[in-house]
Amino acid sequence: MTYFLHIFICLCLIVIQTTVMPYIPLFERFYDLLTPFIIYLSIFRSVRESMVIVFIFGFFMDIISGGPLGLYLTAYVWLFVGVRWAITFLHVGDSLLLPFVVAAGVLMENFIFIGISAMFEQSPRIFEAIVSTIFVQVLWALFTGPLFLMFFNYSHRRWDGWFKEIFIKKN
Amino acid sequence: MFSKKMVMIVGVIVLIAVNIILLSVFNRRYVSYYRPGRIATSLIAPFQKASTSSIRFVRDIWRHYFFVVNVAKENDNYRKALNKAFGNNIKLKELKLSNSRLRNLLNFEKTITDRVLSAEVIGKDPSPWFKTVLIDKGKNDGVETGMAVVVPKGIAGQVTDVSTNYSKVLLIIDHNSAVDALVQNDRARGIIKGGMVGQCLFKYVLRKHDIEIGDIVISSGLDGVFPKGLAVGYVSAVFKPKSGIFQEVTVTPYVDFEKLEEVLIVMNPKKKQFEPEQ
Repeated sequence: MTYFLHIFICLCLIVIQTTVMPYIPLFERFYDLLTPFIIYLSIFRSVRESMVIVFIFGFFMDIISGGPLGLYLTAYVWLFVGVRWAITFLHVGDSLLLPFVVAAGVLMENFIFIGISAMFEQSPRIFEAIVSTIFVQVLWALFTGPLFLMFFNYSHRRWDGWFKEIFIKKN
Repeated sequence: MFSKKMVMIVGVIVLIAVNIILLSVFNRRYVSYYRPGRIATSLIAPFQKASTSSIRFVRDIWRHYFFVVNVAKENDNYRKALNKAFGNNIKLKELKLSNSRLRNLLNFEKTITDRVLSAEVIGKDPSPWFKTVLIDKGKNDGVETGMAVVVPKGIAGQVTDVSTNYSKVLLIIDHNSAVDALVQNDRARGIIKGGMVGQCLFKYVLRKHDIEIGDIVISSGLDGVFPKGLAVGYVSAVFKPKSGIFQEVTVTPYVDFEKLEEVLIVMNPKKKQFEPEQ
């Protein structure tokens, strides 16, 4: 049942990102909303549970985006692996570190995007525009990233609690 | 023989190499809308369509019921503009007639097709690095890859992926887009490429041409995708370097891509096929 919650959250994030946010000028250079969710999965959930979601939604994002196929999949898998590796020596469960973890995740995703684009595109992108976009995204991530993580964690606990209640009532 | 750390480092390097090879293979062979891609689009697009429709519904209510006063004022302005346009229209009709006579005289081929299909934008690209939109018309409506997508103001983009009921459009402001174009007054030819901040670069324009800020850029029709004579944008910056054979020209598109909601697909152009490289 947890998968349904993950799928529902991811679908909502994709729909918000592609249909609602483009109409709000404030969020013109907001970061990818699935990034905090992937970070949440790698910090708080098991590998078995998370990898399915990472692969499915990495592929979905590739399909709806104009980038080379596999770009989002690559970014999400390495982001997941990177954060998973980082929590072996960092106490990222500590809420003080969360903004920096999300910001680092956004930075890492952007580096992967730019790196892969540079490999496959014939003409170089404008450096100033790249730097300013990444800077704005990292700032957004620093301030809003932890809120997303807390929201995902809260939703998950509520969902689990709700199912436990139903299970106890049935028995 | 090897330490655990060493094995891990080698493993990560191998994984990165495999990852790059796979990306390269997928990038060369255009596979995004094969069966799994179509399923993915069919799953996400209805939600996007529902969300977009809801947003527009709410916004329309706001516009229609709460801005009646503004509408009345606008109406007066429009009436004045209409009167002015009426006069211009008569002049243009005369020009059209003379143009048609001259075309017949010169036995020109008709350059702009009349067969267009209207479509609604239901979703935008999730990444700021790529400029594509998803529209609600697909293979079932006769849409094919390579078809030109326009709006009354000018060129919007080109269909790059088609699924059963939805299609992906690569906008002209995307880094990977290219449109063969020319300056209307000077007839200087070049390629319109996507820039980073919603602007386009007019590349490969020879230094000998005197291009000025404000000059109109139109499609040349030579790329076989976009009909000739459609507006692309206006020249917003020109830089002639001291050396080199080309000048650097920036073009601001007429189309406001932030507010792109409905588009027209040109249904019978000379199509450009996206075929896998051999």
